[in-house]
Amino acid sequence: MIWLTWRQHRRQALVAALGLAALAAVLVPTGISMRNAFTDSGLARCLREVGSAEFLTGSTDCGSLADVFTTRYETATTFSMLLVFLPLLAGLFWGAPLVARELEHGTHRLVWTQGVSRMRWAWVKFGLIIAATTVVSAGYALLVSWWLEPLNDAGRGRLSELSFDVQGVVPVAYALFAVALGVFAGTVWQRVLPAMAAALAGFLVLRFVVLQQVRGHVLPALERTFPVIGGQRPNPSLGDWIFSVGIKNAAGEVVSSGQQIQCSPTVVGQPGGPCADFEPGAYNFQLYQPAGNFWPLQFIEAGLFTALAALLLFLAVWRIRSRLV
Amino acid sequence: MSTALEAHGLGKRFKRNWALKDCSLHVPAGRVAALVGPNGAGKSTLLNLAVGLLHPTEGELHVLGRSPYGDRDLLDRVGFVAQDTPLYPDFTVAELITMGARLSRRWDTPLARDRMERLGLPLDRRVETLSGGQRAQVALALALAKRPELLLLDEPVASLDPLARREFMQVLMGAVADGDTTVLLSSHLLGDLERVCDYLIVLQTAHVQLLGGVDELVSEHKALIGPRRQRADIAGVAAVIRESHTDKQTTLLVRTSGPIPDPAWTVHDVTLEDLVLAYLAQPAPGRPVLGVAK
Repeated sequence: MIWLTWRQHRRQALVAALGLAALAAVLVPTGISMRNAFTDSGLARCLREVGSAEFLTGSTDCGSLADVFTTRYETATTFSMLLVFLPLLAGLFWGAPLVARELEHGTHRLVWTQGVSRMRWAWVKFGLIIAATTVVSAGYALLVSWWLEPLNDAGRGRLSELSFDVQGVVPVAYALFAVALGVFAGTVWQRVLPAMAAALAGFLVLRFVVLQQVRGHVLPALERTFPVIGGQRPNPSLGDWIFSVGIKNAAGEVVSSGQQIQCSPTVVGQPGGPCADFEPGAYNFQLYQPAGNFWPLQFIEAGLFTALAALLLFLAVWRIRSRLV
Repeated sequence: MSTALEAHGLGKRFKRNWALKDCSLHVPAGRVAALVGPNGAGKSTLLNLAVGLLHPTEGELHVLGRSPYGDRDLLDRVGFVAQDTPLYPDFTVAELITMGARLSRRWDTPLARDRMERLGLPLDRRVETLSGGQRAQVALALALAKRPELLLLDEPVASLDPLARREFMQVLMGAVADGDTTVLLSSHLLGDLERVCDYLIVLQTAHVQLLGGVDELVSEHKALIGPRRQRADIAGVAAVIRESHTDKQTTLLVRTSGPIPDPAWTVHDVTLEDLVLAYLAQPAPGRPVLGVAK
């Protein structure tokens, strides 16, 4: 059975290995040069000096250095967003054909009548594809996590949308989910193209819903406040995921949303000045998910997608045992 | 005589349609049985049930004394050539043999290689480069390499040209000539099977219409020709299968229960093909009968 699985899918395995190698060939040199630029430009040292204090008071932040750096590597950032689709490829080209191709070509009637029960066939095939998916997607996740480190530190943060999605452990869970969805769709539609279409649609819809509607609400958001008047401002390089910002008056009512204002005490009270509209006691607020919640959020979301993958595989086995008869 | 395959009240429903209904039949061991019926009559369903690919909706099915669905040990004793002879197109012939060796416990690799060699098929040929006839031969060789006690073939020659059909049937008959293997093969054309089978099952619209040894069936059915008359009970006739009338003459195809004493009838032997066609022209039991003259 293991030999047969390898013989049937060795081309897909080879393509995946080549794809991973090609990705490494792109990411490793650019990653090294990005790290060099990160150090050589002084950004690394600057960020070290600023440290992880929540608020900064002096004039030093690394904003301008970070801007130069992120502008220079804007293409890399865009490229990393495209990598978010890699797990989908596993679902389309590994998952969907696994059962659907056999059913479409009738070869299930060859292989299920040889002397191996179809349950054993299914478990061996599913086990091997899960193992292969885990290995390949872990390689991809490690590579991209390493590659994105300087961009994360430069202020983009690991929690920002589509940055969170390509590092840590979630890429493995997405890939497992995509593969399981493809396998399950194959047992329902029993032809490769419809199974691929269903896996594509299902994957994109669920990923989008979780990204937009679930992830931000899993852990409670925190509120950070700092006065309108005064020199204290939040450290921009913490990498927090900021949902909303605004200004509240002393009574805690929102008087302005979407903006943050800081005035030095010298300009307060000047008519027509930027701070003329705000009463004393007004303060800025930020609703945010702290950067420190990166790993809890990663494990929660990875757990969700892995559980869905397990459920889909059990449903696929159930369909093979009870519905394709 | 032991029974290789036995069904009682067997039925299989797909969603709302019964592909096979109330099917009772048996195939004695050692026979070469032909399963004949038009497309959609339930032949593939019966064979897929027999090899455990499908689970019966109702009734009982025993293959070599066992219930086939989910019985892995039985799979080793049954060879199956599925409809359209599915094979992995990117495998070489040698890889298909390896696959069989890895999946089946009674696999005879030298036998498989020897058969391929006799067919003139190089082991390194890919399946996708084979002709339809060669593919069918490879599928047959794979089924035979299990040294099966029961060999099931689902429309093995339906897509082959006449020459390839004859070659396929020759190889099949050569392989099972020892009589240890029971063969059940289906076709929508009797002509493909007439010369090789010694047992016949006629299926139509999910029902068994006719069942029995070819020699017995041919000898107990007769064509009667006589002057035109209304059908009445005729001594020695168990059932009238088909009747046709001209102005002066009545022709009946009947199943006899003994000699026909009435001298008004001339009695002729029938061919197997006449017999099958007559049964296929009969309405299936349980279906509304339309336009039958009383």
